Amino acid sequence: MNLYAYCLSDEATAHMIESVAGVAGAKVHLIEHGSIKAVVSDFQGERARVTRENIFAHESVVHRVLAGTTPLPFRFGMVVSAARLESYLATHKAALSSQLSRVRNTVEMSVKIIWDAEAVKRAAMESEEANPINSSTEMAGPGAAFLAAKRREVAGDETLRKRAGEIASWLERRLSRTVRNSSVRICPTTGMAIAAAHLVGRAWLDEYRSQLAQSREERGDLRFLTSGPWPPYSFCELSP
Amino acid sequence: MNEYLQQLEDDELSMLETLDHVLSKGLVIAGEITISVADIDLIFVGLNVLLGSVETIEDVLGQRRAGTNRLAGAPAGEQE
Repeated sequence: MNLYAYCLSDEATAHMIESVAGVAGAKVHLIEHGSIKAVVSDFQGERARVTRENIFAHESVVHRVLAGTTPLPFRFGMVVSAARLESYLATHKAALSSQLSRVRNTVEMSVKIIWDAEAVKRAAMESEEANPINSSTEMAGPGAAFLAAKRREVAGDETLRKRAGEIASWLERRLSRTVRNSSVRICPTTGMAIAAAHLVGRAWLDEYRSQLAQSREERGDLRFLTSGPWPPYSFCELSP
Repeated sequence: MNEYLQQLEDDELSMLETLDHVLSKGLVIAGEITISVADIDLIFVGLNVLLGSVETIEDVLGQRRAGTNRLAGAPAGEQE
C-alpha cells in the first residue's frame, strides 16, 4: 500500500481534513514527523490517473488545509511509500520548516495577462525603427529585401519581448505594496504576455484585489485572467 | 489564444487554472513522477516541468469537441 501525498504543514489538524474525501475517495489523514505533518491518504497502485475527479480531489484536500493554515502543496500525482515519505521529511526537515515559515499566513494569487501578440509584433515590424532603410533595400534586389524582411521579423520578436517585460515591470510596480514575493514568467511568443504568481499576506488580500482592479482599469488594452487564493504552489520548491 | 479563451466556459477556465497549478508546480519528493493522462503515461523528469497553457487549452477544446468527459492534458510536458 502506497500513500498519496497532498501537502505538508506544521499547523494542520485532523479536524481540518475530517470531512474531505481524497483521491479515489480515500480517507485523508496526517502522518507526523516531528513538527511537520504530511497530509496523505492510502493509495492502491503506483500512479494517479489525471482525471477531473482526481485533480479536484487533490485540490479539495489542499484547499481544505489552506482554509486553516498555509501548507506546502505537493504536485499532483505524488504517490510514495511510507518509508520514502519519512525519509524525505527527515532529510529536508530544516528546509521544509524554513519554507513553511516563509509562506505562513500567505496565499498565492495568479495573474495571467492576455494580449494580441500578433498585432503588437505587426506594429513593431511596420515601425520606422525596424525598417530604417526601406527604400534603399527595395532597390537593391531580392537578397537585400530578404535580409530586410528578416531583420524586421527579428525586431518584431525583440519588441514583443520588450513589451511583455514592460508589462511585467508595470504590474510589479502597481502591486508592490501588497505582494510579498512574485514569480513571473514572460512568454511573449504566445497570446499570453506574462503569467505571474503573487505571494500575498492574507491580511493584505483586499488591498491586493483593489490594486489589481485599478491596474485592470488602467490597461484596458490587456485582458487579465486572475485566480486565487491558491496554496503557494509557485513558492515551495526546494533547491536540489 | 484570445479566440481560444473566448470559447471557454467559466468552469473550463477554472479547470485550466487548477491544472496549471497542480500539474506543473508544487513540491515533489522524487526526481520524477509518473502520472497517467487518458491512459497514456507521462514521465515527468526533474522539477521544472511545465505544461504549455495554449496546448492545454487546445486539448480541452479538442476533448469537448470529441464529446468525451475525460479531461486530457497535453500530449507531453516540455522537459527541461
